[in-house]
Parts: sequence; structure tokens; C-alpha cells
Amino acid sequence: MASMWKEFSKGLWAEIPPFRLMLGLCPTLAVTKSANNGLGMGLAVIFVLALSNAVISLIRNIIPKKVRIACYIAIAASLVVAVELLMQAYTYPLYQQLGIFVPLIVVNCIILGRAEAFAGKNPVHLSIADGLGMGIGFTMSLTFLGALREVLGYGTLFGHGLFGPDFHPVHFMVEAPGAFVSLGLILAGMNLLSIRKALRRGENPADNPMPGCESCRGCAMGRD
Amino acid sequence: MSIEALPTAPFLAVGAAPHYHCGTSIKGMMRNILIALAPAVIGALYWYGMEAARVMALAVATAVVVETLATKAMHREVMVDDMHAVVSGLLFSFLLPAGAPWWLVITGTAVTMLMGKMLFGELGGSPVVGPAVGWAFCRVSWPLFVDPNAMMLNTEMVNPLTQLKYFGVAQASQFGLPALLSGNQLGALGAAQVGALLIGGIYLVVRGTIRWQIPAGFVIGVLGLGGLYYAMDPTMYANPVFHLLTGSTMLAAFFLMTDSTSSPNGCVSRLVYGLVGGLLVVLIRTYGKYPDGVMFAVLLANMVSPLVDMIKPKPFGAR
Repeated sequence: MASMWKEFSKGLWAEIPPFRLMLGLCPTLAVTKSANNGLGMGLAVIFVLALSNAVISLIRNIIPKKVRIACYIAIAASLVVAVELLMQAYTYPLYQQLGIFVPLIVVNCIILGRAEAFAGKNPVHLSIADGLGMGIGFTMSLTFLGALREVLGYGTLFGHGLFGPDFHPVHFMVEAPGAFVSLGLILAGMNLLSIRKALRRGENPADNPMPGCESCRGCAMGRD
Repeated sequence: MSIEALPTAPFLAVGAAPHYHCGTSIKGMMRNILIALAPAVIGALYWYGMEAARVMALAVATAVVVETLATKAMHREVMVDDMHAVVSGLLFSFLLPAGAPWWLVITGTAVTMLMGKMLFGELGGSPVVGPAVGWAFCRVSWPLFVDPNAMMLNTEMVNPLTQLKYFGVAQASQFGLPALLSGNQLGALGAAQVGALLIGGIYLVVRGTIRWQIPAGFVIGVLGLGGLYYAMDPTMYANPVFHLLTGSTMLAAFFLMTDSTSSPNGCVSRLVYGLVGGLLVVLIRTYGKYPDGVMFAVLLANMVSPLVDMIKPKPFGAR
């Protein structure tokens, strides 16, 4: 149980996907014009990530090593199609808002990254915990970024007006450059927090507090 | 000579280079730029009165305060007395219409200083020129408040670039050379003082604060591509001299493109860099949706700057 909690909770802060692992940046930058969009995208990713981790972990011993990437992609793609159809059926306005980025979950680095780095070599219960944790971390990040950009860019939060008519929305924030600028500022803020924390514990803060390659494994994919 | 006879004090001073300083300082450069900007300030006061004074003073004050606070937050020595903040604030206010609301001036200046200078590690680190960053931020966020046409309803002056964009070349040709040069055109409060900026720019080139290659390349780019279009069809495209004397072209050529941290170093690379900026100005004005795209041209040229910096003379004997 303790190990499950450990795998679950690491996705919430220590390895929170877009801000720590720098994975899945395409939807992070593109769909976070509003908190609603971020939340919807995040929920879709939770669904796909948890299920793909579970399925891949179940069949990890019978997938041939040489074609494992193709297998992972096929599994993720089937799940994404399911999500896409569900969204078309039940949340059509959100589906229209997110557009091409729902099918693009297939090529989202988080799905493949977690499959390769975790689900491919760990038992089912841990893989589900990992997928859920990472998915929830991703959702929180996207909702936070979306809320930040929506509040400044439209003066609303989840569609509710916050300021009076005297507020002139900073339209820059909901344009593409606003996404890059706010992501950069959030990363800087997280690094600042990590450095402060390390200093308080009396350690020497690392130059780059980002975790290294071990959590992504993207560069190890071409080997063996 | 016995060893005791040698002088005990060192008689050869050994120190690290540089041994000789020519005396130029950032403060001196900035003072020169401020002197060069003075005619344009006078022009702005003449055409727009106290409104212009309000915007310029607010921008300069905000720039100084923001830089001081940012350096304090970064735990660094406060270097605000090198006057770079004053120049940045003044240049940013030159890009605004005289009727810009106070919150826009303050936000824009803060963005100019923070995102155009302090985030990159103070003076000398920024790959882009600050005032253009601030202007682009404001132009994307509040297009109406940065548009001189919308903010200066009580003036009789006409903005030549919107005339060209929306009413065609015939309307644009009503502006005579003296009117354009003397600043009798609606535009951003400082950028429209074309003749005054030209005088200031020539002063800077003569004093050696800026190198002539960048303005020359910029002007050649505008005149070259503008002339090409004009030669193709004079009824469709404006006279190239019109492009040179409207909008922020002059300000960009002499004061923004030449920003020392974001422009390249070599002679040829400076010329190419200026040329890229000039070509982009005409392209954006001809095909873009913005009547005056000079700031975007400057930002794009800044992005090219590290690339053209690779143009270097080959060392002797290298293959």
C-alpha cells in the first residue's frame, strides 16, 4: 500500500508532468486558454493514462521487446479513440474547443513516457497508481495554467466574471506568446521554491532542480 | 651589484589587462542617446502638448522604479544611475499615442523593463530590444489603446499609415515631405517626429555611439524593397520615401535596431541585420494586418542577430 501511495504521489509534485518532467507540452501550451479547457484535457489524459498503464502492465511480459513502442502506441490510440467518441457524445462543446488536441493525446509524450519508463516493468497496481498520479498532476497543472491565463486574459474564471467593467483584459495572455511566457514564469517560480526548500534544509541547491533523465527515458528508447 | 642594492619595492607594476581605458562608459553612451532624443521630445511637446509630457514622464519614472525594485529583488547592486532605464522608458513612451491611459503606460513600461531587460540578467543580456517587447505586449493586449487613431480623436492630424492601409495610395500621397519631416502626422508621440529623430540619429552616428551600418542597411532595405514595389505598380504601392518617413521607421533605424545588446558585432553582419529589418518593415506593411509593423520587424531582426553574427572574416591561414 505504501509503495502504491509513493508511486501515486510522485506525480502530484515531485515529478508533476508538464512543469517538472517537461513532458506533454503541446497540449499544455495549446489548449490552456481557459481553466475549463485545461480541466477537460486533463480528465481525458487521466483516463487514457491510467488505462494504458494498466493494459501495458498486464501484457508487459508477452510484448516482444523489439516492437514494444508500436504496441504501446496501438494501445494508447485505441483508448484515445474511445475518449474522443465519449467526448463527442457527452461533452460536445468541450470537444469542439479542444479540437485536434484530443486525437493528439496519442502522441502525448506522457503516455508513451510512462509506458516505457514505468508500466513496461512494474506490476499492474503500481502502474495504475502511477498513471492516476501523473494524470492528476497533469490535470492540476493544466487547470492552474488555464486559470491563470483566463483570469488575466479574459477576466473570468471557469466562465464567471471576476472584475468590473473597468478591467481591461490582458489579451496577450490568451494568445500563443502568453502561453510560453506564463509557462516560463511558472517554471522559474517552481525552481525558486525548490532552491528555497533546499536552502532551508541546509543543502547546497542544485544548479538545475529539474529531475534528470531517469524519469523520462526518452533517449533510452532507441537502444536494446 | 650585490643583492642588497636591489630596490625592495616592486619597480615593475604587474596587472591584468586592460591597461588603458578609452573613457567611454554606459552612462556616457546613454547621455549621448538622451541628447539625441531631445529634439524628438521637443517635437512631441510641440505637437501633443502636456499629454505627451505626461506619458513620457510616467514611462521614465516607472522604468526607473521598476529597475530599482527588480535589482533589489535580485540582490544585485542597483545600477539605475547608468540611465539605461531612463532611455528605455523614454523610447517606450515614444511608441505610445499621446492619449495613452496611465495604466497602459505603467504596465507597458514594467513589461519593457522586466521582460526586455531584467529577466535576461540586466543590461547586456537581452536578446531583444526592450521597448519593442513592451510595445508588442501592449499592441497584442489592448490594440485599441495603442492605436493613435483611436486614442487621439481630438486632433486634426491624420495618420498616414492607416490612410495607406485602408484608403489606398491616392490618400497617402496627400502628405508632403515637409509635413512628414516636421512631425505633422498622427502617430506615436515620439516616433512621428521624423525630422527630429533624423537629426538625433545623425548626431549619434557622428559621435560614434551607434555604427552607421545598421541605419544604412535598414534604410536601404526599406527604400530597396519599397522601390521595387513602387516600380512594379505606383498606383498600388506607396512611394518608398513615404515608408521611410512614416510610422516608427526612423525611430527603429537609429534607436531601436542599434540597441547594443541585441544587434550583431561585425560590419557585414550589421549591414545584413539592418537590411533584414528594413525588408521586413515593407513586407509587414504591404501584406500584414498591422498598418505599422516596424516593432515586429525589429523583434524579428533581433532574432536573426545571433545568426548574422556568424558572418566573420576568415582568420589568416584558415581553411
